[in-house]
Amino acid sequence: MSVREWMVGLSAGEKHFIQGGIAQDLRADGRKRLTYRPIYVETGVIPQADGSAKVKMGATEVIASVKLDLARPNPSQPGKGKVSLFVSCSATAGPMFEGRGSEELSAELSVALQRCLLGGKSGAGAAFDPSCLSIVDGKLCWDAYIDGLVVSADGNLLDALGAAIKAALINTRVPVANVPAGASLDEDPDVDLSSQETTRIDTSGVPVIVTLTKVGRHYIVDATSEEESQMSSAVSVSINKERRICGLTKRGGAGLDPSIILDMISVASHVSEQLMNKLDSEIAAAEADEQM
Amino acid sequence: MEYVNPEGIREDGRRPLEMRHLHAEIGTVARADGSAVFEMGNTKVIAAVYGPREVQNRSQQLNDQALVRCEYSMPNFSTGDRMRKPKGDRRSTEISLVIRQTMEACILTHLMPRSQIDIFVQVLSADGGTRSACINAATLALADAGIPMRDLVTSCSAGYLNSTPLLDLSYFEDSAGGPDVTVGILPKLDKVTLLQMDARLPIDIFENVVQLATEGCKAVANYIHEVLLENTKQLEYRRGL
Repeated sequence: MSVREWMVGLSAGEKHFIQGGIAQDLRADGRKRLTYRPIYVETGVIPQADGSAKVKMGATEVIASVKLDLARPNPSQPGKGKVSLFVSCSATAGPMFEGRGSEELSAELSVALQRCLLGGKSGAGAAFDPSCLSIVDGKLCWDAYIDGLVVSADGNLLDALGAAIKAALINTRVPVANVPAGASLDEDPDVDLSSQETTRIDTSGVPVIVTLTKVGRHYIVDATSEEESQMSSAVSVSINKERRICGLTKRGGAGLDPSIILDMISVASHVSEQLMNKLDSEIAAAEADEQM
Repeated sequence: MEYVNPEGIREDGRRPLEMRHLHAEIGTVARADGSAVFEMGNTKVIAAVYGPREVQNRSQQLNDQALVRCEYSMPNFSTGDRMRKPKGDRRSTEISLVIRQTMEACILTHLMPRSQIDIFVQVLSADGGTRSACINAATLALADAGIPMRDLVTSCSAGYLNSTPLLDLSYFEDSAGGPDVTVGILPKLDKVTLLQMDARLPIDIFENVVQLATEGCKAVANYIHEVLLENTKQLEYRRGL
């Protein structure tokens, strides 16, 4: 948390103003406690990637890209491609991310996103089924590398990254690999990628991440960095379309009563529905825009 | 390998003396003091400027001029092949240094003693000419931050393949192994502040290639002027003048 504390630098009056506003359900920028900032999505922003998206929420801006590489599947999971996820924070987001300064926050965000989207070692509860990346069972598959980049940071990075990754996955086109009949796949595989055909990843199960930040006795969604500096703790819940919880992370120092956590989860699940609808329509619009 | 076909068209459909499409936007990173996105074809970079502000590390403080610092970073998804590289490898350290020196030459550092200016450049997508794109983006970001400068530095690269001088090399042409000349100029003062070349080239042809790159820089400078003017008009409009 030290990074965020240093970043903001608020006077006692400003702190009081932020806390008072949240208590009265009217935040410093005029939002209610459970209102998001306007979300803006653009897809296909990185031409070299197989899928990419940029998400802006207020002054927070993140980019996600999905890159596919031909590889050999893990012997323990022969019918599945490997999926890995990394986040880095660009120094453009602030001087404190210069050099190695971003490592701690990058690792924290990477692990939280892995927990929310990749669904543990077994792959159960993952955002999408990695068996759609398999080309030849046990011999050849696509490895998906999901990268997140924080370009500008103004709070709520996790939700924004989750949204950007969702948009990038929807934007991803998996090339159809034609393996010549009778080709030996034990050495360097000889794969025909010349066809222009592509398939899509089934993204219907990709969850959205809702972070509830507890300030005083209340919790808010989509906190700005000023509000985040006043938080006692935050709970990030990832929820899919069926309203199932796919992952959960609690951050921040203060302890929470178990009943409060359950209440936060039910609020998050309620909010997630609005966010999911908003995001889906934004992504659909961005995709339609890109194809024009 | 044929990089320019008999009709004089390059692999991406350009003429030898044609530049890629330029696009620039100012003020893209909301929290920075100045920021810009600069695109040259598929190459896309973001620059953010923080400062002038108090020097963070007192031992680096200069009593007669501002301290200019620069960090260049390239995420692992920006290139064609994906590779994991740690921050601060040799190539990015060298580019950081090049950008810092080029920008330092045009910032009026003596007006801001005992202060620090940070320039952060982030490549989003690399397709040749990242060095030039970074310098152009940094210039725009510095202008957006309102930092006093002698002139706007602009940069462009040129090469020589199939006995033809080519302007603004793409990654495909850059990796052909031919010479790649990167030039940075102060367009109003007509001075060269950056000149780099790899591979070898006869002196008379080198002159032509540098001349071509300089012309490219001037074209970039014109574009940057337009963008800044447009931005200033917008600001003026918002103030209701």
